[in-house]
Amino acid sequence: MKREVRRKWAGFLFVLPGLLSYLIWTLYPIIKSFLMSLYKWNINPRIPNEFVGLSNYVKLFHDDKFYTALINTLKYVIVTVPGQMIIGLLIAVLLTRGLKGQTFFRLLYYLPVITSWVVVSVLFQYLFATRGGLVNYLLKDLLHLINRDIRWLAQENTAMIPIYVLGIWKGIGWSMLIFLAGLQGIPKQLYEAARIDGANGWMLLRKITIPMLRPVIAFQTVMLTIGGFNVFLSVYVITGGGPRNSTQVLSSYMFKEAFDYFHFGYGAAIAVIFFLIVFTIAQIQRKLFKREIY
Amino acid sequence: MKKIFLVLALMVVVVAVFGVEEITFWHTYSTNSGEYKLLTEKIIPEFEKLHPDIKVVETQVNYDDMRQRLIVSTATGELADVIRMDIIWVPQFGDIEVLLPLNKAFPNEFNKLKDQFLPGPLSTCYWNGNYYGLPLDTNTRVLLWNKKLFEEAGLDGPPETMEEFVNDIKLLTKDKDGDGQTDQWGYADYGLGPWNSIPWIYSFGGYILDPTNSKAEGYVNSDESIKALETFKDLYYDGYIADTVVGGGGIGTFEGYAEDVYAMIIAGPWSWPIIKGQYPDAEINFALFPAGKGGSKSVVGGEDIVISAFSEHKEAAWEFAKYMTSYEVQKAFVEVSQMPVRKDLVEDPIIQNHPYFHTFMKQLETAVARSPHPGWNQINDIMDLAWQNAIVADYNPDFALWEAAMDIEEVLSEFE
Repeated sequence: MKREVRRKWAGFLFVLPGLLSYLIWTLYPIIKSFLMSLYKWNINPRIPNEFVGLSNYVKLFHDDKFYTALINTLKYVIVTVPGQMIIGLLIAVLLTRGLKGQTFFRLLYYLPVITSWVVVSVLFQYLFATRGGLVNYLLKDLLHLINRDIRWLAQENTAMIPIYVLGIWKGIGWSMLIFLAGLQGIPKQLYEAARIDGANGWMLLRKITIPMLRPVIAFQTVMLTIGGFNVFLSVYVITGGGPRNSTQVLSSYMFKEAFDYFHFGYGAAIAVIFFLIVFTIAQIQRKLFKREIY
Repeated sequence: MKKIFLVLALMVVVVAVFGVEEITFWHTYSTNSGEYKLLTEKIIPEFEKLHPDIKVVETQVNYDDMRQRLIVSTATGELADVIRMDIIWVPQFGDIEVLLPLNKAFPNEFNKLKDQFLPGPLSTCYWNGNYYGLPLDTNTRVLLWNKKLFEEAGLDGPPETMEEFVNDIKLLTKDKDGDGQTDQWGYADYGLGPWNSIPWIYSFGGYILDPTNSKAEGYVNSDESIKALETFKDLYYDGYIADTVVGGGGIGTFEGYAEDVYAMIIAGPWSWPIIKGQYPDAEINFALFPAGKGGSKSVVGGEDIVISAFSEHKEAAWEFAKYMTSYEVQKAFVEVSQMPVRKDLVEDPIIQNHPYFHTFMKQLETAVARSPHPGWNQINDIMDLAWQNAIVADYNPDFALWEAAMDIEEVLSEFE
């Protein structure tokens, strides 16, 4: 009995640091944001905050800019999550084929993951510049696919494209790495047996690799979705939300309201809605992927 | 026991009488600049010599991090005693009572000092009956014209009127290599926000807010304001203004000016060292922004020196703020390219003999401060959007500005 108690205490002590950091850095800010969202919040602690109930939320639901930001964020997730995973998987499969210099290529593809968002965002700004940008040079002068420079960042319908491309490019390495780990776990016999049954490469990928990677795919979908919702620095640096708010995403809009306009209560309301959306989507994804098929 | 108390009490008294008061000073002078060297090696040591009881601890903060730092420190009540702050932030931080209203804290001295400053920079400290700082340094944007391209086009000097300006912009736009795409533009700038549009709007005789900063309708969408936007829009649509104004990327305005791609740009005094740093042989020619119905008007930039309302060393902080705006210190800073805010320095030989300050000082006489209002960040974005709506999305200029008027009125009502 005594030993039982001691073991419980020991267990508790082991989780305590993690629990504390969760309480302080995750749970407390969530609760605090929710409380802030009910006030006309003033950052000067000497000025009392004015309680406004749900009026920040009422305003939010009538705010066109909020919906634009929400839709842009969803589009970003829908484009970049599959984009990263498909390319990441293809590269991972290629890199398990025993090519020469495999390790070198793995390192090379992982490099974008560890580079600074700000630095590569500035770089992408140059790549997609109207005049003298590398992308227009390739499309116009080298491949002759277009005959006039595309004004990527100056037009509303194209300004999001560099941000998508950056998001995918920067995430491929991480996706590849997780897939590589997943691929190691697939028993070789399955492929051998299938080959004997006359399966070709495409069938191997569809009938064995992808189903066997299901838990990895589920994990990546959830993680990349959460990551995608948090898109901020690339937007902040490349377009600043423009032209005409056409690239505003939830986090950049929240930042603008809170830190540029000092609407901290309103910014907190955006954060709360933002949290609820991401939380719900992550739960749905978890449910969907829970069904095991083998 | 009693003895110990006595000793302790004595020590407190000694520290209070002979102790050194420490004040903290946050600023954004970059650490490799001449300004920083002057500040740390000469200005602060001399101040400490004059006031042996005050010690100044300076902290350099990058401009991009300063705002974040101010907000976080406000929330925790740990602001520096003295801060060099961008002029457009002062009313916003003043409004939330983070800054000390100097006209209330030191009324006699402040009223005596007030009139020594240029009115444009001084107005940036004012909000709602209070002055939340002293102007510290100032700047404005003037026209840079490329003499070589002007001569090629048969023009002998920079435009002085709006009509000449529009005409020259058209004459100076060319397709040099004949591939059907323009490769030399008459005018370039890097955005459509008020920092970029105010010279156009006000030189055309338009406004953003009324002189008391309490009304937008009829000002931001006055006939003159609409005319400014219309003119700019037509020039852009016909390809005479480079794509950089809508954030299209491409060669920057300074590089483009030095490489004969842009015949005219508008820029602050820092353009000189930046262009000369990259292109030592570039010829730089400054001129006043062309005058329209409203005269030649440009936009005021710069910094104010403010004192935290949380400060426990307000008197010492005030001494330092006064010192930083004194004749000697302001004059010393001119030599490291900081433009002064004092009237008595405008005619000073140090300005008159400076390689390029005189055009900027001349422009400053009529330059317009971005409305000192705590909602300025919102007004700024509304104006930016209105110009983008007209120029990127082809809205009718008078509709775009009418919408802006409605939105700005809503912002103004937030602060009533």
